[in-house]
Amino acid sequence: MADGPLNGYSALELCTSPGGAYCGKLLAMFGADVVKIELPGVGDPARGAGPFPEGLPDREKSALFLHLNTGKRSVTVDWRARTGARLALALAEYSDAVVCDLTPAEEQATGLTPETFARANPRATVTSLTAFGRSGPWKDWRWTNMTSFAAGGQHYLTGDPDREPLASGGLQAEYQAGLHAFGATLAGLYWTMRSEVGQGVEVAAMEAQAGTLEVALPDYAYRGADGLTKRRGNQQSALIGVYPAKDGHIGIHCMPKNWPQLMKAMDSEWMIDDERFRDTRARLQHGDEILARFFAWSATVTKREATRIAGETRAPISPVNSIEDLLADDHLRARAFFRDVEHPAAGRVTHPGPPARMSLTPASVAPAPLLGQHTVEVLSGTLGLSHAEITLLRQQGIV
Amino acid sequence: MNPYSLPLAGVRVLDLTMVWAGPYGTRLLADLGAEVIKVEAARSWDMLRSVHLLGGETERWYDKAAFFHHNNRNKYACTIDLNTPQGKELALRLVSMSDIVIENYRADVLENLDLGYDALRAVKPDVILVSMPSHGKDGPQSHHLAYGSNVEQLAGVAAITGYADRGPHKSGISYGDPVAGATAAAMVIAALIHRRLTGQGQYVEVAQWEALISHVGEYIVAASMGHPGPAPSGNRHPSMAPHGVYPCEGDDAWVAIAVGTDAEFAALCGVIGWPDLARDERFADVVSRHRNQGELLDPISAWTRQRSHEQAASELQAAGIAAAPVLSIPQLMANEHLNQRGFWETVVHAVAGIWRMEGPLWRFEKTPASVRLPAPNFGEHNDYVFKGLLGLSGAEVEDLRASGVIADAPDLTLHA
Repeated sequence: MADGPLNGYSALELCTSPGGAYCGKLLAMFGADVVKIELPGVGDPARGAGPFPEGLPDREKSALFLHLNTGKRSVTVDWRARTGARLALALAEYSDAVVCDLTPAEEQATGLTPETFARANPRATVTSLTAFGRSGPWKDWRWTNMTSFAAGGQHYLTGDPDREPLASGGLQAEYQAGLHAFGATLAGLYWTMRSEVGQGVEVAAMEAQAGTLEVALPDYAYRGADGLTKRRGNQQSALIGVYPAKDGHIGIHCMPKNWPQLMKAMDSEWMIDDERFRDTRARLQHGDEILARFFAWSATVTKREATRIAGETRAPISPVNSIEDLLADDHLRARAFFRDVEHPAAGRVTHPGPPARMSLTPASVAPAPLLGQHTVEVLSGTLGLSHAEITLLRQQGIV
Repeated sequence: MNPYSLPLAGVRVLDLTMVWAGPYGTRLLADLGAEVIKVEAARSWDMLRSVHLLGGETERWYDKAAFFHHNNRNKYACTIDLNTPQGKELALRLVSMSDIVIENYRADVLENLDLGYDALRAVKPDVILVSMPSHGKDGPQSHHLAYGSNVEQLAGVAAITGYADRGPHKSGISYGDPVAGATAAAMVIAALIHRRLTGQGQYVEVAQWEALISHVGEYIVAASMGHPGPAPSGNRHPSMAPHGVYPCEGDDAWVAIAVGTDAEFAALCGVIGWPDLARDERFADVVSRHRNQGELLDPISAWTRQRSHEQAASELQAAGIAAAPVLSIPQLMANEHLNQRGFWETVVHAVAGIWRMEGPLWRFEKTPASVRLPAPNFGEHNDYVFKGLLGLSGAEVEDLRASGVIADAPDLTLHA
């Protein structure tokens, strides 16, 4: 079994959103025994998302599902039915944490509220992870990754000033919410070590983003000026942006102290002491000249050359890595970041390693479960149901 | 200790982090009740203090920068010049009475200061040290620098973001920073759980680049199955359609609409007053709809343009369609939903004044958190730390001040 810091802890995941699954994945990676409840026959919607090997849809081989569910056990229970909901509550009795992404209306409809989970297990941390939170006029709104990205403020800020707002690629609103739900769940578990009782904790994707809008939101909140509240495109200022290179793109993020190194990297030492670029204010005033220099230089280098020069000069220049670049990257390989994991249906696939390295309690990456792979094991092993009882539930479509 | 005190009450964090990633992470800990002591120095102070937009003539601008305030509330601040022998000794004495030390220096800095994990463990055997280097502490690029926008470029997020007719695009924020910060905060708590169970501290490395790769993990898995990384596709979705943002009444106002099933599409057509579209063979199933979604831009926009983005989202939600306004910052701060949830808190600061900031993100039912303390002025808690915690005399503190080991004002030329 895992040696993570949560070894010995158990968690129940009742989620259909990628963010909820990501929270459960992190709990599992760091050692918790995570039981994921999926709908019988259908499973987590991520099972239908793909991409799939050879492009052939197969609920056991969806890349999104395989990534978001490493190391969990899968139990199929129709929690929308009364008996299924009771099984979920029974499982909560054996869980130190419950992670749930139902809206308040869905909680009421199923009876699976934080309060009923707390009654089932007064020591449990019950984490609610939704787009809008459990109160307020939008609490029952439906959401997807993009609508959360829109409501939270990052969408408006991303993209070109004269075009429509741009959503970041992938499922970034979901991942951020899932990461916060993971931290909040850990904080709940730690609190329970002292208090001996559990409590509910709520993470709203919209709020997770509204608190991460860099300088733009604080500056508006404080000064009331909207100078920084607009989208600023691919070059956020003269000193921070993405620039075309010979074979792709590179990024530059120049803080005040990096200016000399950056100019050395670009063979432009003369610009270090030039009056026009003397300090940050002067550099922003002469931003066009700096941008012209950045564009001219970036066009002469490949991503790999830029990376080498960045290392030699310690300048804040990065390659815009493609997914393929990442898998081939020397540095990540030297650090043995990626993990090849054998999956019973999908075969050998590569996963990102854990997001952090703990010296004594390292995280682990284990294969994602097949749909309902652990139903019998959990219902009989944890809940003590007999095989006859499980068969009865199966006949009624509950499990 | 009161069992109902905040989750991290009684946990002391010596916070050597600066700028955004680290301070964002330690803010999450401070919001939860940890005693976070920020360490700066006259020649090494948090660059966020210089991002103020108030004009260089403003008195004590370094205590008024809103970006600094939002990310350092609920913390204390002292000053120690870690490059001096006395400064190192003070730091180690503080380590000996702290649970956590956290830093986001470049990979080699802490060791060069002789304050690496072994040095810390020598004075505090169960200390938890969290480092947040961009590339990690080892590997051929460990000496490279990367800030928040570099991290999203390294991690593959920028490559899959962008308008369909253009190359990669950066996020509107330095996205690597809050992800690394939230990861580090979670790791601190994970390590605290292990310490409480076993008595053992440990060393935790959060390589910011690696932390963010999980956020594109499905494409890593897909690549190992032979699928190339996805090309930027604007606001489109690989299977849902229509899926995008549509212009609304007002300047630069948009509503995000995400339609999955045929039933949702039929509902959308009803809401926008074009029920026939649902039966049009160009849009009859998800594949056709995905292929032809560009042709839906005009009919949907004709409807969205006639209402505000919030009104459009409300009407669509009432019909069971996932939609949300693309909220700007002024709109977020005026948003009725967040207001009713009490998200914005009023903060009062003796030097900077009164304004509103976001409240704690992790909302506990029994131990609600709040902005208890505004962000510290530069060196504001020197007396608390050196006299109160370390028990130095007034004369000893004056000596340290006179020799420049501790300071009451930053060297303003540092981040110019």
